[in-house]
Amino acid sequence: MGLFDKLAGWLGLKKKEVHVLCLGLDNSGKTTIINKLKPSNAQTQDIVPTIGFSIEKFKTSSLSFTVFDMSGQGRYRNLWEHYYKEGQAIIFVIDSSDKLRMVVAKEELDTLLNHPDIKHRRIPILFFANKMDLRDAVSSVKVSQLLSLENIKDKPWQICASDALKGEGLQEGVDWLQDQIQAMKT
Amino acid sequence: MAGHTMRLKVYSGTGLASESILLDLPSAVATFLMDQNEPRTPAVAVASGPFVYIYKNLRPYFKFTLPPLDVNPLEQDVWEQAKEDMIDPLTLKEMLEGIRDKAEIPLSVRSLRFLAQEVQEMESFVNLHKGQPIKRQTVITCMSTLKKNMADEDAVSCLVIGTENADVLILDPEAFTILAKMTLPSVPAFLDVMGQFDVEYRVTVACRDGNIYILRRESKRPKYCIELRAQPVGLVRVHKNIVVGCSDETLQGYSQKGKKLWTVYLPAPLMTMSLLDQKSRGFQAVMVGMANQEVHMYRDKNLVDIICTQDVVTSICFGRYGREDNTLIMTTKGGGLIIKILKRTAVFEEKDTSLGPPMAQSIRLSVPKKTRLYVDQTLRERENAVAMHHVFQMDLYRLRLMAARAYVKALESSLTPITSTLQEPLKMNAVVQGIGPTFKLTLHIQNTSAGRPSINLLVSFLYDQSLYSMKRAFFKAPMLVPGLNYPIETFVECLSDKGISDVIKVFVLREGQSTPLLTAHINMPVSEGLAAA
Repeated sequence: MGLFDKLAGWLGLKKKEVHVLCLGLDNSGKTTIINKLKPSNAQTQDIVPTIGFSIEKFKTSSLSFTVFDMSGQGRYRNLWEHYYKEGQAIIFVIDSSDKLRMVVAKEELDTLLNHPDIKHRRIPILFFANKMDLRDAVSSVKVSQLLSLENIKDKPWQICASDALKGEGLQEGVDWLQDQIQAMKT
Repeated sequence: MAGHTMRLKVYSGTGLASESILLDLPSAVATFLMDQNEPRTPAVAVASGPFVYIYKNLRPYFKFTLPPLDVNPLEQDVWEQAKEDMIDPLTLKEMLEGIRDKAEIPLSVRSLRFLAQEVQEMESFVNLHKGQPIKRQTVITCMSTLKKNMADEDAVSCLVIGTENADVLILDPEAFTILAKMTLPSVPAFLDVMGQFDVEYRVTVACRDGNIYILRRESKRPKYCIELRAQPVGLVRVHKNIVVGCSDETLQGYSQKGKKLWTVYLPAPLMTMSLLDQKSRGFQAVMVGMANQEVHMYRDKNLVDIICTQDVVTSICFGRYGREDNTLIMTTKGGGLIIKILKRTAVFEEKDTSLGPPMAQSIRLSVPKKTRLYVDQTLRERENAVAMHHVFQMDLYRLRLMAARAYVKALESSLTPITSTLQEPLKMNAVVQGIGPTFKLTLHIQNTSAGRPSINLLVSFLYDQSLYSMKRAFFKAPMLVPGLNYPIETFVECLSDKGISDVIKVFVLREGQSTPLLTAHINMPVSEGLAAA
């Protein structure tokens, strides 16, 4: 079997599996982003607030992603840390129009980065500055300033402006994430 | 938010969502759910003068007016006569003054204003107003809400209103009829309501006479009364206890039956207070905004947190704001709006940081029973107190005398490492280094005089010659320049291998004198080197 698996891998038939955590505050658009990344026939029409977490799968050109779509509600956020060990990459979604709760997002991000399971790993983090379609959304540069992303020195990170409803900006982010994961593995 | 600029402003996130102009200065604002209709949007009630303006969906919806009060019939008669020009303004004035001084029902605003007029203006005032009937209105002083028949978060609530004529009214949320009316001995200033209207409720009212009254369902008069030492500045209910902030910079806790539980002294005058209710953890605390630009949080009488602000906080509100459950909103004197979000991981430390007796003090010690001996001793002490005191004093004097004698002796024989003579002020200390059998002895001698060098000084060692040997036990010290520290080194060899040590005495002498200038006793350490060898 082992040989067959390797062979399939070389031929590009079987894609490598990666586990990704999708985090962010409630109502930031995590489930919408994951839903949009799935093939169009598997997408659901109505998105409801996630309770606990849900596991979603989608594929890119060379990888097969298993996403832990965590609930962002305050009372479920303490679940996040139990999945840090398994995650090989993190997608952090921010509601760019919610200026008031940017501090909450920063607080959660800082807690995440200082967690022992994350702190000393070179784990790639992809930020989606979501809801760019809204009138009072701030730019992705401003979001990275507000979250002090420049202080993340020991991990590869990237911020993408996105509009999950239309799907804009999602592919660029996922492509970057795929490159990072492959670079990490080789 | 309702402000002195007479505008009702609604904020969403960090931006202003809507602004409505109010007709008069607002006295209280409350939000409540009026009906069961979906979606459950709360209405905003703004109390202003004798009216309550209800806003729904950011638009004016209804205006409730307090019912007019009974007019004094005598006053009515007098004005009736004035209307028919039967009496002139001066007679009217006299008659109204008579009514004002005697009558039980006070005069209407119109009569009071008439009495305040100058004589020449009275005529025109009467002519202007005599056509209208007299009305007596009261105004709203405070407002709160009370759940109608369910305790749910989104249940329909009644408005509870305190008025200037010392009444508390409860209004129906849909029909705006008065469901209940209670009369207080004084004008209410702060209201707190708990329970449900149809089941059982309790209204706690802080009044302008400095008392707190507690009313219950079906009681027309107050059931309990708490008399405060100072005027109340704020009233909050934590669980079942009442916490009152007073103008004498204290925060006081009372049980629901009016028993005083504790007092906390605040560092500054109190501006405002409110309840912090973190529902997810079941944590309740009182937030107190003070004139020193600090907001203190007390859980019972324990201070759990302090927030420093840029300006004096004039009002505080804690609760759900937008999507965030634990948000603290404060307005400041200068017109600022501060929004703080409680960290998800925040824990309020239950430590006793407030002043006053520590917790340990209230723990009862298990004091053993008084013994027979103890009782006898205390009896004896009581009877012979004077004699005992005399004996003690005598011994104390003796002790002091002995100490003084010893001191004089030490000074006379220069047993100290600092000289007492003014001619040769010297200071010496000695250091022993090494583990044996050879020790290095370093003497540090310093001339502490202002400008006179010391010459012709001798150093002599006195020791047990069976224990130690020294190459030079007697030598001449160099000239000592004032202020400099002279280290003088010699070597001492320990001859004994029995692990015993002795004292070596060092004397500094003046040539031709037998009494030393100063003496040092060096406690030699046990020679370890020889024992090992």
